[in-house]
Amino acid sequence: MNTRKNILSFPIFVVVFLIEESIFNQIHLPFGGFSLFLIFSLSWCALSTPETGAIAGFEAGLLMDLAPHSQGSVGQWTLVMISVGFGIAYLRYGDDSLRNSPLSLVVIVSVGVVVSLVLYVLVGALLGMDLGSTFQLVKTISGNGVWTLAITPFLLPIVSRLHGLIFETRELK
Amino acid sequence: MRQRGDNRSRLLFVILIVTSLFFITLDLRGVQVMNGVRSGAQTVLAPFEKGANAVFSPIGNFFSDVVHLGRTRAKLKRLEDQNASLRKTLIDRKGADAQLKQLKSTLDLAGTAGYTIVSAKVISQGNSTSFSETVTIDVGANKHLTRDMTVICGEGLVGVVKVVYPNTSHVLLASDPSFRIGVRIAKSQQIGILSGQGTDHAVLQLLDSQSSVNIGDALVARGSQGDKPFVPGVPVGSVSSISHSSGAISEIAEVKYYVNMNALGVVAVVVKAPLADPRDILVPKPPEPAPTVTVFVTPTPTPTPMPSK
Repeated sequence: MNTRKNILSFPIFVVVFLIEESIFNQIHLPFGGFSLFLIFSLSWCALSTPETGAIAGFEAGLLMDLAPHSQGSVGQWTLVMISVGFGIAYLRYGDDSLRNSPLSLVVIVSVGVVVSLVLYVLVGALLGMDLGSTFQLVKTISGNGVWTLAITPFLLPIVSRLHGLIFETRELK
Repeated sequence: MRQRGDNRSRLLFVILIVTSLFFITLDLRGVQVMNGVRSGAQTVLAPFEKGANAVFSPIGNFFSDVVHLGRTRAKLKRLEDQNASLRKTLIDRKGADAQLKQLKSTLDLAGTAGYTIVSAKVISQGNSTSFSETVTIDVGANKHLTRDMTVICGEGLVGVVKVVYPNTSHVLLASDPSFRIGVRIAKSQQIGILSGQGTDHAVLQLLDSQSSVNIGDALVARGSQGDKPFVPGVPVGSVSSISHSSGAISEIAEVKYYVNMNALGVVAVVVKAPLADPRDILVPKPPEPAPTVTVFVTPTPTPTPMPSK
């Protein structure tokens, strides 16, 4: 684990978070739309080692908890994103057949988005959060999953390049 | 096959999980540091949201129009009937005109009831992962706003101020699943509780088992003690359907909000309620039927032939 590289990834997350909050929140897409930041951070985790995935999940979750529209407790998204980030990285890192297939990456990120939303709802229910009707929840979560499947292939090259810039740079000796 | 993780990575995972649980505990216990951090984040984000709203709101409006194509079809039909140059001018000025219209109707509503208001512009709407119906407005503590103030627009109730930041405020919309408001049926004066459902409809539960409700009945806010969080007399919605459940203690009805929560542009925060309850004066009047034109036809007298001399 390289602490310096993990710290370097945080400003990138902040920039994507600002883009999400200031631009993408202005656009209301059908079936709940998608979360650019969630897709970006889970794609980042999928490209990382389990340790880096957990740390990236922590950074992303903390930013999502600080979002003005977040209704849950501070720490709720952090808990979810650490678990899903670590899980995705763990699942993908050890399996070379999954690691070398871009299609599997898209599917893993989409499933990760759905799982993280479901986990958020479950943790919210445990903490006594008002979540609305089941139909609305199912519509939002499934809509996010489908949108993620459609968006991730376009976003992956950018995430992959940024990830490579930070984690694959060799230090000069 | 790569080594998936050693004890160190598992230890790191556990440490991070414990840290997040620690955050949750602090937040649930109401530690001020957490609120301060979130307030700081909103203060940092507000200028970005304002700037992006100015630049990207036409794109957002475009997608909103596509999503609500059915509702705007009649409006589009009318626009198509106008000539091309006028239509182009209208499209260019559509955003500004809509906001001006919303502001005018909001001022009309507030003026009729005697509410003292602070007008505000919606600068951001809740994202898809928040599972709540919220908007952010561009006024906050700088305009002396406080928590639990009623937010209205030209058609009626929008929501209630939940969090006040230095330059912005967070408004919980009436359509949010956690939203509850005491309402009164305009004509019969029966009372009930209206609950948001996360859609453009709400559910009304009457408090009195002997009361009944009719389709089309208008609902207004009953008002709260000290006018917080709700000032009295604000129109909320009208009854669209009634559920006759044999097991229910009192009647349950579905209510359609007067306000379209997806098309909020300009709203107003009620900072002071009038001394007297405005009662039902804000209830929207039903459309008047077109006057029937009555034509009286009087037969012209036929000239009688004059007898020849």
